[in-house]
Amino acid sequence: MVRYVFMRLAGLVPVLLGISLVTFILVRLVPCDPAEVYLRLSQIPPTPEMVASVRADLGLDRPLYAQYLDWLWKAAHLDFGVSFATKQPVLAEITRCFPATLQLTLASMALVLLVSLPAGILAALYKDSIFDQFSRLLAFLGASVPNFWLGFLLIYLFSLKLDLLPVLGRGTPAHLALPAATLALSYAATYTRLLRTSMLDCMSADFVLYARARGLRERLVLGRHVLKNALLPVTTAFGMSIGHMLAGSVIVENVFAWPGVGRLCVYSIFNRDYPVIQCYALIMAVIFVTCNLVVDMAYRFLDPRIRLGGGRQ
Amino acid sequence: MSRLKHASAALFMLLALLVLTAGCGGKPAGDAARAKSLTFSWSKDIGDLNPHLYSPSQMFAQAMVYEPLVKYAEGGKIEPCLAESWTVSADGREYTFKLRRGVKFSDGSAFDAKAAKKNFDAVLANAQRHQWLDLVNQIQDTEAVDEYTLKVVFKNAYYPALQELSLIRPLRFLGPAGFPDSGKTSEGIKKPIGTGPWVLSEYKKGEYAVFTRNEHYWGAKPKLEKVTVKVIPDGESRVLAFEKGEIDLIFGSGTISLDSFKQLRDSNKYGTMISGPMSTRTLAVNSNRGPTRDLRVRRALQHGFNKQAVIDGVFLGTEKKADTLFSPNFPYCDLGLKPLEYSVEKAGALLDEAGWIKPAGKEFREKDGVPLELELCFDSTNNIQKAVAEVMQGDLKKIGVSLKLVGEESQSYNQRQKDGNFHLIFSDTWGAPYDPHSLVSSMRVPSHADYQAQSGLPMKADIDRKIGEVLLTTDEKARRELYSQILGTLHDQAVYLPVSYQTNMAVYHKNVSGVTFSPQVNEIPLDGIDKT
Repeated sequence: MVRYVFMRLAGLVPVLLGISLVTFILVRLVPCDPAEVYLRLSQIPPTPEMVASVRADLGLDRPLYAQYLDWLWKAAHLDFGVSFATKQPVLAEITRCFPATLQLTLASMALVLLVSLPAGILAALYKDSIFDQFSRLLAFLGASVPNFWLGFLLIYLFSLKLDLLPVLGRGTPAHLALPAATLALSYAATYTRLLRTSMLDCMSADFVLYARARGLRERLVLGRHVLKNALLPVTTAFGMSIGHMLAGSVIVENVFAWPGVGRLCVYSIFNRDYPVIQCYALIMAVIFVTCNLVVDMAYRFLDPRIRLGGGRQ
Repeated sequence: MSRLKHASAALFMLLALLVLTAGCGGKPAGDAARAKSLTFSWSKDIGDLNPHLYSPSQMFAQAMVYEPLVKYAEGGKIEPCLAESWTVSADGREYTFKLRRGVKFSDGSAFDAKAAKKNFDAVLANAQRHQWLDLVNQIQDTEAVDEYTLKVVFKNAYYPALQELSLIRPLRFLGPAGFPDSGKTSEGIKKPIGTGPWVLSEYKKGEYAVFTRNEHYWGAKPKLEKVTVKVIPDGESRVLAFEKGEIDLIFGSGTISLDSFKQLRDSNKYGTMISGPMSTRTLAVNSNRGPTRDLRVRRALQHGFNKQAVIDGVFLGTEKKADTLFSPNFPYCDLGLKPLEYSVEKAGALLDEAGWIKPAGKEFREKDGVPLELELCFDSTNNIQKAVAEVMQGDLKKIGVSLKLVGEESQSYNQRQKDGNFHLIFSDTWGAPYDPHSLVSSMRVPSHADYQAQSGLPMKADIDRKIGEVLLTTDEKARRELYSQILGTLHDQAVYLPVSYQTNMAVYHKNVSGVTFSPQVNEIPLDGIDKT
């Protein structure tokens, strides 16, 4: 088990190297020079002399391989350089914004679990009932309503009309409610339906029939046999979603003026802020790989038939 | 079942963690302190407020903390600020400023000629970064003649010197205690210490900034005690926050959509104001590419575009129709130029004359079998440009011109301006106090849409020569004549298609009073605002 985790973590190194190289090349393929972007942001006419001067300041006048190797060497020492736009150390910028995004993601995850677990179970137990139909409607809405529009609707209802919650910003738990709900809805809708389907599959499986034949109480059959097995595909999807939520919270962050890392990333893309984009891509890669690893470990917990790395229990 | 219990426990812990971390975010001061406090929002963080540098510092915030020697007033008039008076030598090269006595920085230290020179020196030490500004290139030397006299010597007589000294950056004054140990503000500052009416007192990056009244301020003290600037990137969110009462004032150009402005105005629940012309929303027409090389085609485009429909339909009456590159209320710009009015007939006649004929049964004009097709490039993130472009596409279709709309993200769009890869492209003027002299000066720089648009004109070299002369002449009459010739030629050659004069907009709750507009496009005049 330890060996398996170690091997998976060791596999992270080539993944990160590959991602760093691909990101490095891709951001430079996008038209427009960061030096020019900086000048335009400063409302300075980008004359060739000014562009050359800023390029030299930003270290962009060196050969590409030298820029990459230099960046890689420093990144290996956790020095990700200085943001072109804010002139602050990149790691400090990201660590400043990351807690806000993490908080938003954790809140959304909690909401997703709170809603989708009971809703999915009830929808399966009372298949084709009004509750099931209602959960289906919610799933369609959750999947089809764009995040930004949902955010505005929630603000309009809960902040403007009912005056229950603040419109935007970060500070108190009340500030967290609307952005977390906005981010959570589409995931909650998906997992409700996924859990329902998965439970229905398990309920018609032979091992459930056998459990019932053994005279086990229905609660025990559902809890120990059906739900536990039904959670397997949901766990996989949920694990993948954590990374998506962390990386994809940008629209919600923008609507609710939530000072998170997604907003920082988009701002950096617009500003061609290479050091921030590269560091962000690396951190997200680590998060995705870690989430995958945690999901695999959770599999072992939920289904002892699965042997991680082929080892013995 | 025990595993399910574990899962429930984990969920409970997750929720507990959330509640604990929820209190970790910043929060501006509470309701008790709101009595004389105003909150407004900006789309970006205010930045580090280094007075001698640019992005990420926001100009309105720099202007709250730092002051210039002279300020730009209505109609381009220059008024005293930190300099009480000034004299200019006969050859126009030496400016002697008598500094205002009794002025203190917000830390209580005195503003004097020594402090002023220290700031000039810091800016000149980083002259390469400021080379876009002719003022910095023209300064030869500065001298603290006595405690309250500062002399600035220029390499040439440079008439816009006072206008450019009034700019928000880079020549405003940082208190000596704010300088880094190296003295090089290009490396950053220790603290934003200025002489202006406001002091930055609380700051949470990316979330909000709180400015309090500078108790050492030499001028009339602001009526408000505190101004909070919240970072709200999205315009619609800003409107909702305003309606909820979380912000008191919306100010600026493009800070909210025009639909939202109209809706707030029509509700009669709030105060709304629109400024006079601040800059011009215009299209540059390329005289060096394809069919727009022909003056008759360029003039036909001017006659074929119904600007009034755009003013009514797109701008909802919030901007005024523009007939000239600069609004006549700008210095040297009231030239009585004859507008090229909307007339489908005139447009058609000009195109016929240019040889672009509409074949029977065809929608668009042709010449030697080639259809009359033009590209209009716009910033796809700018909804107003897109809407104007769509109206224009419809108008030009009526005169047989096929207008292809090319919407790209901001930086790619900027690249086209630089490369001249367009027939028409949006290219706004810079606004006061840059207009007209800074924009006219930049027309000589190839990386500008202006240069690219003019590059096909037979008299381009003559225009550039006159631009060089107008910036250096000390003869007011000659300067007026040169501006008349430059702007008149550009108007006649139809290399600009002015659409509207941009305005600043303000929306505020009815308990807010004293809202006005500054003559400078990037300044927010908060000093006179009060709140009950």
